[in-house]
Amino acid sequence: MSAGYNFGFLDEHAKKEVRRAILKAISIPGYQVPYSSREMPMGRGFGTGGLQLTLSLIGANDTLKVIDQGSDDSVNAVNLRQFIEMTCPGIDTTTHLSEATLIQSRHRIPETPLKPEQVLVLQVPYPDPLVVVEPSEDKRKIMHGEADYARLLVKLYEDIVKFDEITISHRYPTRINDHYVIDPSPIPRWDVPKLDNSPALVLFGAGREKKIYAVPPHTKGEPLAFEDVPFRVESFNDAQGKRRACARCGATDSFLDEFMNEDGSKRYQCSDSDYCDETLQASKMTEAATYA
Amino acid sequence: MNNHLNTTLQPTLPTTLLSIWQADTQQRAFRKIMNAFARPGVIETLESEALLLTLATLLDGATTFADFDGILSEHDMARLEVATATAEQARFVLTHGEAAPAFTPSLGTLESPDMGATILLKIQAIGSGHRLKLTGPGVDGACEVAVNGLHPAWITAHQSWNSAFPLGVDFLLVAEHQVMALPRTTRIEGIK
Repeated sequence: MSAGYNFGFLDEHAKKEVRRAILKAISIPGYQVPYSSREMPMGRGFGTGGLQLTLSLIGANDTLKVIDQGSDDSVNAVNLRQFIEMTCPGIDTTTHLSEATLIQSRHRIPETPLKPEQVLVLQVPYPDPLVVVEPSEDKRKIMHGEADYARLLVKLYEDIVKFDEITISHRYPTRINDHYVIDPSPIPRWDVPKLDNSPALVLFGAGREKKIYAVPPHTKGEPLAFEDVPFRVESFNDAQGKRRACARCGATDSFLDEFMNEDGSKRYQCSDSDYCDETLQASKMTEAATYA
Repeated sequence: MNNHLNTTLQPTLPTTLLSIWQADTQQRAFRKIMNAFARPGVIETLESEALLLTLATLLDGATTFADFDGILSEHDMARLEVATATAEQARFVLTHGEAAPAFTPSLGTLESPDMGATILLKIQAIGSGHRLKLTGPGVDGACEVAVNGLHPAWITAHQSWNSAFPLGVDFLLVAEHQVMALPRTTRIEGIK
């Protein structure tokens, strides 16, 4: 047993509690199941909710991918991956989505559609979409139970009155199975449609707020919108209306991050680093085949 | 952790039964049980007798359990180390699926629907017998599954207990090494 910890750091009772919460989260899609959320050796807000889910799910025959804002190499992903490798001897880790059985992610859902046998764990800072309109959790729980989202819709309507459009860029409120509205974690709008009729199970863990919720596979996930103001994802068109391409791999179908060059000009690149690598690899192969 | 109980109560327990109390066996079992809940109609085969392995995987002293028909042995009850409650109040209830339900389980509350019970129904076989058509979250369109030894009153009860979502109960059918879940969101129709 590496470093003298139980496999998965958590004790077996903690895992059982998380596992029972997961089953209820799946059975009541979108409902935030409370759980005790153990103290982890990192600050709350650094992905402890997602981490506790991953540690309760993972076994020696799993291959894990950890993503932070689309990248396997940014600091949160590296730290979490190293911690899980240290406390779960025998597991494999990967940066390739296609090899992973378990994916923990912060702020992105991978571009490539997930496979049914994969499980996606998302780290959640703020689980309750109603918190902007109702400060009391007791009242919010009743509103959720009754599927009463009138005040949330008024908030969206006020946005339209003020700005002619709903201004929520990430954490877009999404209605699951025609009942509960969830905060889908800080994923961009671009990723929200991936929750609808997803091939894979998606689990959400909020460590500080002590909640677990789920979007089961093949379940309706509908972003809140109005008939005359439909939901739309981020546009990556330039001033001429042409879709921007990734400066590295040339993809025109991915979510792009904007970077500033030293001369002040802008550069766009895939946020999903694995997708960018795959596209680059594929285009090199095509090029090689063309010149062969 | 539970090894001392084994030596004092059942010194001759076969090793296949011993493994169900081990963490890695329970982790593998949980992943299959989770997939069953996420995909109603999918039959998962566990690595040993599903009933005891499922209970060992999910229960501990922090939850409550009712063995309505007295299916478990005293030894197994002792090893589960779970608090017992009445079938009306317990978070987990184990019962035979052959007879019609003789209790009303907890359906949870509007604020906390997760307090609705998980009912483990021991039946003869999953994969043969009466055919059921399932629709709802986790099912891609619709699917068919067959069950043997499930009293039709349980299907009616599933419908009536789950008629006011989010309140309700979640079923886990258990037969030999197999499990299949019917969570509260699943709509079940019998096929003649």
